[in-house]
Amino acid sequence: MEVLSEVAVTMEGITKQFPGVVALDSVTLHVRRGEVHALCGENGAGKSTLMKILSGVYQPDAGQLEINGKKVIFQGTRDAEIAGVAIIHQELELVEELSVSANIFLGREPRTAFGLLDNKIAKKKSQSLLTLLEASISPDGKTGSLRVGDQQLVEIAKALSLNASIIVMDEPTSALTDLEVERLECTINTLRQQGCTILYISHKMDEVFRLADQITILRDGRLVCTVDKTKTSPAEVTGWMVGRNIEKHRFRRQKTIGKCLLEVRNLSLTSKDSSQRGRLHDVSFRVHAGEVLGIAGLMGAGRTEVLEAIFGATHSRWQGEIFLSGKKVKFNHPSEACDAGLVMVPEDRKRLGIFENFYVNENISLCSLSRTLRNGFLNRQAEEGLVAGAINKIGIKTSSQAAKITQLSGGNQQKCIISRWLLTKPKVLLLDDPTRGIDVGAKADLYTLIDSLCQAGIAVVLTSSELPELLSLADRFIVMNEGRVTGEFSHDEATEQKLMAAATLG
Amino acid sequence: MKIWHLFPKNTLQRWLPSQNEWSLIVAIVVALAFTAIVDTNHTYFFRPLESLRDIARNSAMLGIFALGAAVVIIAGGIDLSSGSMIALSGTVCSVTMLALAPAEMMAFQPVGWVVVLIAILASLVTGFFVGTLHTWLITVVRLPPFIATLATLVGLRSFARALCESSTAVLTPTKSAVINVADPVFKSVRDNVWFSVGAFLVLACITWLLLSRTVLGRHIKALGGNEQAARLAGIHTDNVKWFAYCFGAMTAALAGLFYVANESVAAPVNQGRGHELNAIAAAVVGGCSLSGGVGTIPGTVLGAFFLRVVIDAVSKIIKTGADVYEGLIVGGVVVLAVTFAQGMSGGQRDRRILPGTLGLCTIPVLALIAGSLAAMTTGFGSGLAAGFTALIALLSLRIYESRRSN
Repeated sequence: MEVLSEVAVTMEGITKQFPGVVALDSVTLHVRRGEVHALCGENGAGKSTLMKILSGVYQPDAGQLEINGKKVIFQGTRDAEIAGVAIIHQELELVEELSVSANIFLGREPRTAFGLLDNKIAKKKSQSLLTLLEASISPDGKTGSLRVGDQQLVEIAKALSLNASIIVMDEPTSALTDLEVERLECTINTLRQQGCTILYISHKMDEVFRLADQITILRDGRLVCTVDKTKTSPAEVTGWMVGRNIEKHRFRRQKTIGKCLLEVRNLSLTSKDSSQRGRLHDVSFRVHAGEVLGIAGLMGAGRTEVLEAIFGATHSRWQGEIFLSGKKVKFNHPSEACDAGLVMVPEDRKRLGIFENFYVNENISLCSLSRTLRNGFLNRQAEEGLVAGAINKIGIKTSSQAAKITQLSGGNQQKCIISRWLLTKPKVLLLDDPTRGIDVGAKADLYTLIDSLCQAGIAVVLTSSELPELLSLADRFIVMNEGRVTGEFSHDEATEQKLMAAATLG
Repeated sequence: MKIWHLFPKNTLQRWLPSQNEWSLIVAIVVALAFTAIVDTNHTYFFRPLESLRDIARNSAMLGIFALGAAVVIIAGGIDLSSGSMIALSGTVCSVTMLALAPAEMMAFQPVGWVVVLIAILASLVTGFFVGTLHTWLITVVRLPPFIATLATLVGLRSFARALCESSTAVLTPTKSAVINVADPVFKSVRDNVWFSVGAFLVLACITWLLLSRTVLGRHIKALGGNEQAARLAGIHTDNVKWFAYCFGAMTAALAGLFYVANESVAAPVNQGRGHELNAIAAAVVGGCSLSGGVGTIPGTVLGAFFLRVVIDAVSKIIKTGADVYEGLIVGGVVVLAVTFAQGMSGGQRDRRILPGTLGLCTIPVLALIAGSLAAMTTGFGSGLAAGFTALIALLSLRIYESRRSN
């Protein structure tokens, strides 16, 4: 291996304060040219803030920045782009209504001699960039109709079109399926060979150890250390991230499986628009009290659609039969499902779960307000009492009940949503990818919580985009592919390879 | 503000006005004091009760349907039709009385309280119908609220005019665009300010209780905050919307009755025209966010009061009809209040006000507004002076800003 010597990025003593918190406390980072440098840390550790400073989104309160040995001050993202730094945010910033090539050249559109848009040049250049990334995406296609993984490649093409030599990726795989992750890793390796420097934020250890040359760990806005990948281990890095050692979760102790609580027979769904998404064919499964059923599958396989159909949240008509505790049910609205004791935690916490205009307590009590009524009016004391119980039971970390929900970490927000539903005393809990985008410590808390809910006799249906997580939590698995069940495994049979095979072949 | 953040939200704090409300109270006091001093007739000193009554009546009339606008806005919608609803409500009320007691109406005689009661009920039911129509257009036909209520904004006024003309053609000797109302009930409402102020205060209390202390109120805020999440949380969002739009239309219908009483006539051509924007402005000045989920009733009440105080102040100071400048004042107040609220929430302190080419082009625009306003109200010479002063001030601000950022 050649020796990488020249330094591409130097950040010295970077400090950044936000009202009430020190997001970064004198952090120093050196990144050599042409390496993949992973940034690890729990949510709120300051990784994103550090990268937003590198890409000109934020200005540091103290410290200095050097790109390729030259001292720079970025007033905005434009300055950073000129210096060759591009960032791909966790939430992609594409205009869904525009074509792929229009997105790649957004704001820098090639023009003809008459000053009109030159779509030909844009298309040609886009095509060559996409070919470089080995992506089979048409530059003419509407960006919104692409899958998340493809949209990410469009963002990378956009970064390359800026001649960026330093590319920052903020948790690029959080919304990707395992297959798409693999392709992204190929792309990153291609970029590295072409001399790009890549800063990669992630808290998935397997990815970090496959991709990175160097790993920098941040905790609570401070630098813990920067190490060579070959000189450390995933367990050690995780330990640095959380400041303690997390033992591997093993919930495979003896469980008492009760009677069948939820049975789905031949659930079929034909969505109105004839797109691939939202179709289901003859999905059948059973879940028993005290059991976790894992639904595996790639994104778009129909996991969410199954849960939404059961919960009465889908707008489309479905066929089939659903039995709750042996009684045939058909929910037309989530409130009916909730009254019957079946609840769902939706997949997209920010978009479908939390109410940003509500305090923590209002977010938690929303579904059980009838329990806080006194003489027909909401009673603050009753509400606070109810919520205090929920906060203690689940261990939500918040400064007070009247804190803004947005001040909480992602994991604690998710706990708020779960406890909102637990207050309604459900029998069946549907969890749609509950650990997406939350940090290691909070994930462990959620695993413990799911386990204790099973102990209490609740039936849990769980989907997850991370197979290892699903494997360690679920007692049984069904695998879905394009709206069909393509495999069913008990815990002992299931391996990552088998699930993956069923999810991709069918 | 800082002090409150040190303590958890406690009972005391809940009962005290929020920061936005404090700012409005201070602004109202300042505006009143300023007018009292600058007004050359010193109306506020010499005829305080009369001035207070005027402001109170106008604030109450605006406030009644501003409460409706606030509820709709907090539920994440918008109702542009309340001005036309006012016209329709007044027309329905008058036409009902005309139909039930044509002889008395034409002779300007009392029509009897039963007829009045039926007429009032008819107006309120009309409000319910309009709210239902809005909800159907929005939830079933799936029009955006802006489009649905834009259609009724133009449609309802036209409907009211047609109703007025065709019913007068049938019930009276001549077709007419107005219906005079001389019933003593309406006269006493006009002469006694307590009717409108009382109705406003009672309605404000009910709405405040509704939003802060009932399940429905909490669901309204949830709907406005995140509609999809609200549905997934088991809230019947369509029913909550139905309530909000009916509340909006029915408060406008109630306000329409006071308009008729106040002017002794139902005149659908002009009554309430453009007033929907004043109601929305009052809600926004009072802290409601047009993106939904955020807003308070005390804030809306203060917002309506503040708007009327400023309008009254200008009419007192410049002595010409306030109605001419009303739009300018409402527009200016909205811009200033929302800018102020944004500035208070922080994070944008080092933002430039006049950046780049846009900033350069804005300088003469603002100077022209200042100059022409001064010229129209106080004469050509002072207009020129004001325009020049504004130009110089803005240019220096621009130079200062570009110096600072370098």
